[in-house]
Amino acid sequence: MGVALASAVLLADDEQEALEALHAAPATDGLPVVIPTPARVERMVLASGLDPDMLLGEVGPSQGAATIEKVAINAVMAGCLPDHLPVVIAAVKAICRPELDLTELQSTTHCIAPIIVVNGPARHACGPIASGWGALGPGHRANASIGRAVRLIMMNVGGARPGLSDMALLGHQGKFTSCLAEDEENSPFPPLHTSLGYDAGQSVVTVVGTEAPHSVVHVGDADDPSSPNRLLRSLAATIANVGSNNAFFRRGAVLVVLNPDHALTLAKAAMSRADVQAALCGLATNSRHLLRSLNPAFAGQGADDDPVCALRSPDDVLLVTAGGGGLYSMVMPSWGAGPHGNVFVTEAVDLDQACAIP
Amino acid sequence: MRDAISFARRNIPAVALVTTEFWPQGDFVARSAGMPDVPRVELPHPVAGSGHERMGEVARSIATTIVSALWA
Repeated sequence: MGVALASAVLLADDEQEALEALHAAPATDGLPVVIPTPARVERMVLASGLDPDMLLGEVGPSQGAATIEKVAINAVMAGCLPDHLPVVIAAVKAICRPELDLTELQSTTHCIAPIIVVNGPARHACGPIASGWGALGPGHRANASIGRAVRLIMMNVGGARPGLSDMALLGHQGKFTSCLAEDEENSPFPPLHTSLGYDAGQSVVTVVGTEAPHSVVHVGDADDPSSPNRLLRSLAATIANVGSNNAFFRRGAVLVVLNPDHALTLAKAAMSRADVQAALCGLATNSRHLLRSLNPAFAGQGADDDPVCALRSPDDVLLVTAGGGGLYSMVMPSWGAGPHGNVFVTEAVDLDQACAIP
Repeated sequence: MRDAISFARRNIPAVALVTTEFWPQGDFVARSAGMPDVPRVELPHPVAGSGHERMGEVARSIATTIVSALWA
């Protein structure tokens, strides 16, 4: 196809032998991958509309160079279609932003993993990227492949290997793949990216390192005026749960995924996204006495009856609507460490560069 | 490891303290950062939470090794 690739080409007699060689390298996440033959990688690079040696960023902890070619190789391995690539590229730019602290995020003993939230037209143009029923579970090709591509890049370009450079004591399943779209059409709130300063017509990825999702059950009652407050309290208690780092480190962005029914419960109480963020920040507290009784070394200085908030500010609550309607929303607490304190980052998805490949 | 490497790059003597379980990661980081021979001293794992008395024992057991590494 005429794309000059710089990567070494390994030889194998067939795809099975190639797969075993990639497992042995190690260059996989433990699951089978699509063999990144030169033809497949060339096709993916061409689809990007970008030069193969274009550098998107350095991936810690090894500070490997995330070029378009390396991204394309891992996207092929992850099972991506060329259509998915603009979101993968944006997510790679996002994880390489200094404020995400990827080196520390990849090296910590905590189980943190980046999750990718997609807003805007890319949800359809680069997917469809699921935002409804089971959006974080199996069965959605774009979600699975995009998240997996980013993970493979973190492993193969960033050098993260369990027990060697990725020191997570146990990890979690979201370290294989973690990507979803916001259900903008069924959300009573403006799309997340517009609340962060982007235009509605832009496509944006928001990336934050989090734990696995914690389910939050809430049985709504339209006749019960306390229903919104009960929901807020349940969400806040999960944010500030005393097993989380946030409770003790008092910082770190957290992802709150409201199902459309729960989002509507709050919107009907005349709450905006900012109102919900402020309310959760106000409620996500523990007494210092409780924290001190559990982990005195992390409880900080102060009186026993001090209320200790698990968040630095309402802005640390990323509020997204996704999933099927029903009883369950999700809270993803975070790590709360690193030089920048586990903040979220955003990156625009450039759909104009992508090329259709026959 | 990265702190020790940063100091060493500024010609300030430094030694990284690395626990046994993190020794391979230390090697990885040192290689990745382009300073595979940055001085480091091995500690038993874990150190955190092992108590003041144990911490004192560990400190006493490695003090001379740290000094030697700084002068090497």
